[in-house]
Amino acid sequence: MTVLKTDHMTMRFGGLTAVKELNLEINQGEIVALIGPNGAGKTTAFNMITGVYRPTEGSIYFEEKEITGLKPHEITKRGMARTFQNIRLFKELSVLDNVFIANHLHLKSNFFQAVLGKLQPNFLDKVIGERRYKKEEKEILEKCYMLLEKVGLLDLKDEKAHSLPYGLQRKLEIARALATEPKLLLLDEPAAGMNPKETHDLTGFIRQIRDDFDLTVFLIEHHMQVVMDISDRIYVLDYGINIAQGNPYEIQNNQRVIEAYLGVTEDA
Amino acid sequence: MSFELFLQYLTNGISLGSLYALIAIGYTMVYGILRLINFAHGEIFMMSLYFAFYGVTMFSMPWYVSFVMAIIFTAALGMLVERAAYRPLRDSPRITVMVSAIGASFFMQNLGIVIFGGRPKAFPNISLLTDVIKIGTVTLQRLTLIIPVVTIVLLFGLLHLVNKTKTGMAMRAVSKDHETARLMGVDVNRTITITFGIGSILAAIGGIMWGSRFPQIQPVMGLMPGLKCFIAAVIGGIGNITGAVIGGFILGIGEIMIIAFLPDLTGYRDAFAFVLLIVILLFKPTGIMGEKISEKV
Amino acid sequence: MKRRDIILTIISIVVLFLFVLYANNNFNPYQNRILNLCAIYVVLGLSMNLINGFTGLFSLGHAGFMAVGAYTTALLTMSESAKMRTFFLEPMMSPLDKITLPFFIALLLGGLLSAFIAFLIGAPTLRLRGDYLAIATLGFSEIIRIIFTNTQTITNGALGLKSIPNNTNLWWSYGTMLFTLLVMIALINSSYGKAFKAIREDEVAAESMGVNLFKHKVMAFVIGAFFAGIGGGLLGNLLGAINPMMFRFILTFNVLLIIVMGGMGSITGTVLSAFVVTSGLEYLRVLDESINLGFVQIEGIPGLRMVVFSALLMIVVIFFRNGLMGTNEFSWDKLFNLFKRRPFSKKGVGQ
Repeated sequence: MTVLKTDHMTMRFGGLTAVKELNLEINQGEIVALIGPNGAGKTTAFNMITGVYRPTEGSIYFEEKEITGLKPHEITKRGMARTFQNIRLFKELSVLDNVFIANHLHLKSNFFQAVLGKLQPNFLDKVIGERRYKKEEKEILEKCYMLLEKVGLLDLKDEKAHSLPYGLQRKLEIARALATEPKLLLLDEPAAGMNPKETHDLTGFIRQIRDDFDLTVFLIEHHMQVVMDISDRIYVLDYGINIAQGNPYEIQNNQRVIEAYLGVTEDA
Repeated sequence: MSFELFLQYLTNGISLGSLYALIAIGYTMVYGILRLINFAHGEIFMMSLYFAFYGVTMFSMPWYVSFVMAIIFTAALGMLVERAAYRPLRDSPRITVMVSAIGASFFMQNLGIVIFGGRPKAFPNISLLTDVIKIGTVTLQRLTLIIPVVTIVLLFGLLHLVNKTKTGMAMRAVSKDHETARLMGVDVNRTITITFGIGSILAAIGGIMWGSRFPQIQPVMGLMPGLKCFIAAVIGGIGNITGAVIGGFILGIGEIMIIAFLPDLTGYRDAFAFVLLIVILLFKPTGIMGEKISEKV
Repeated sequence: MKRRDIILTIISIVVLFLFVLYANNNFNPYQNRILNLCAIYVVLGLSMNLINGFTGLFSLGHAGFMAVGAYTTALLTMSESAKMRTFFLEPMMSPLDKITLPFFIALLLGGLLSAFIAFLIGAPTLRLRGDYLAIATLGFSEIIRIIFTNTQTITNGALGLKSIPNNTNLWWSYGTMLFTLLVMIALINSSYGKAFKAIREDEVAAESMGVNLFKHKVMAFVIGAFFAGIGGGLLGNLLGAINPMMFRFILTFNVLLIIVMGGMGSITGTVLSAFVVTSGLEYLRVLDESINLGFVQIEGIPGLRMVVFSALLMIVVIFFRNGLMGTNEFSWDKLFNLFKRRPFSKKGVGQ
């Protein structure tokens, strides 16, 4: 099944065309990479897909339903989650709270039930029954612990997010995205700022979560080793235009891609 | 309503609008460069009136000397406020700086009450400015004509400064990005100080003309014109100097016309600006002349 | 919560109860008035902190919400004869002139009306960016005040209301304070509260994690306004007389002072700071009034009190950015640790 499809997706900022008529198609269970030189429009493409920007032209389909112009939170609710290039954690909140918040969209209790649930002391649970919110909160906490365990952050759950080292912040961001229960996970440069060991582990980690959570993964990455190791297919952007697509072998041997990366021009 | 009366109202509206415009420029320049609502600007305006007042009454200076002194003192005050209340918070969250701005505003207002007393004082009457003249069938104070002229002249002077001079270039650079401007060799703090100085000079010129037109001054008088002029700046498109002037005119003329055509709503006169603000923000959040500012994700 | 903490919390509530009982009988009216004001300012501070400190919205409309609460409560509790006497310029419009409700219902209606108005205001303005929101909410609060000045037959215009029954006593104010405090603590620690904090920390990330920004902003704004209305209602029925001039921007400023000094985003900080600032504002009235020390008469200087307080606010903002508590909260654990370890070794005050 096609999880994500974009049809002539275009973004213009004034006179500048950041992404031009991009057609993507990503299938269930794939790991697909979007690569290209700096300023090629990769993050802009992500921002359109996740609803941060509304495309100037073209449309976006998620699981064969149109999502063009939906708000980011609506798109997240349909099963798409992302991380950010420049890590956007809730810095002053604890590691646990960061993951907890990503469960909020699935919360069934309304505001009054939540407050009442919080107000009721535990000993009353036996007398008048446990409130629904409390049950929900317990389930959420268990899920958070499971996710934090998975990314190896359980011991650090009470630390503030910004106090974590860079590599762990990236992992926390992934755990947070997973908590929204996505079907499609978008990773914006997951290897950026990681040391060689962390980078090496990342490939395995992404495959692992893909299998464990039944995900489709779409990632932007500059680290070619990671891209070539992990991707089933690759799209290449240059100046907002899709210049090539194919499997890692095809991309590595594509003349236009090599030119785009090496900056070879006709005069040279 | 007769045409003469309409003209009368219109000239009044234009002259009030010009005053708003002068003060609004100060807001828009500071916002453009620091992304900060300078809540203390209304109080700087108020202080300029007292400087001029005391120059004439206490030190018995001729009015023109006193007015020039008042402008200089006001500029110094504006730069001092920046130095004391905003510069230490340059890298703080905006909400913190805004609290500091509100603090500075209340500090000056209450200091005014302590030093000048809470009771209104009569601003000196300069007959050269306030004499009544008659043009055709319309009678008005000479000031009513002087004010718009002064505003337009200052506007063009300022536009020249911002677009054609080195200082102006520095201002534009700082308003885009402090860090990059610094790396390009712009003295960011000095540029900001100059911006506050210019804004305060305009507020002082506006203040003196305001005092001549509505000759009753008191320490709390800065709040309402301050708010309205900020609104004028937002309506015109915050950060845009021409926009601030246009916003000032819209507000001034609109306010007078409401009184003229809907006398029942005179009590709601002060609400007009706020209603207009909300309408503008809903339909064109960047104001009439503003450019879209989008956050990089 | 641990059993120990529940017991300790209940004990503290009982102690508060006994204190109110004692104060009610033994303190003079002036002291009681200040104690009442402290509790009311806790309610007001918490409500503003929810909007500004926890959700990170910069709203300056508090005085407007308080005005709505104060007027509604006052008008619904005043007796028919009191209304007749107060509205001497123009009679009050019917049927408001006949209605007199019990204090509790009037207070609740005041809060609800304030919340409803916040919803009307919030729907358009909460889409605005930070500083536009500040000016728009400030504008709305002024509009409310201007409307109240002009609706002679409902609010008695600029003359204001007099002979409002003095329903507010220590029981009411401390009861409301306790209620607000418990609701706020429960709210802040619930999933909704965490979503509010996420919005404060990073709107883009919060939205990407599925938090409906607009809905949650409106929610925080409306809840805050509800408690602001209740606080205003208590205030009006404490003072016995209100007029539109009371609800100028300076009232918002006072509440802002409290939450900034206590620490934006700390419930504990707001409570402590409400007591310190309110009693401070009250006791420093000596600066404005003249004092007779028997042998020498010191002339007071009107306005000096607010000079001191605005200077204080700026000093706090510039030099102690996190206020008294930062975003830290009191907990019994921390209190016990304080005694167990060396005193003042690792208490997270002011960071």
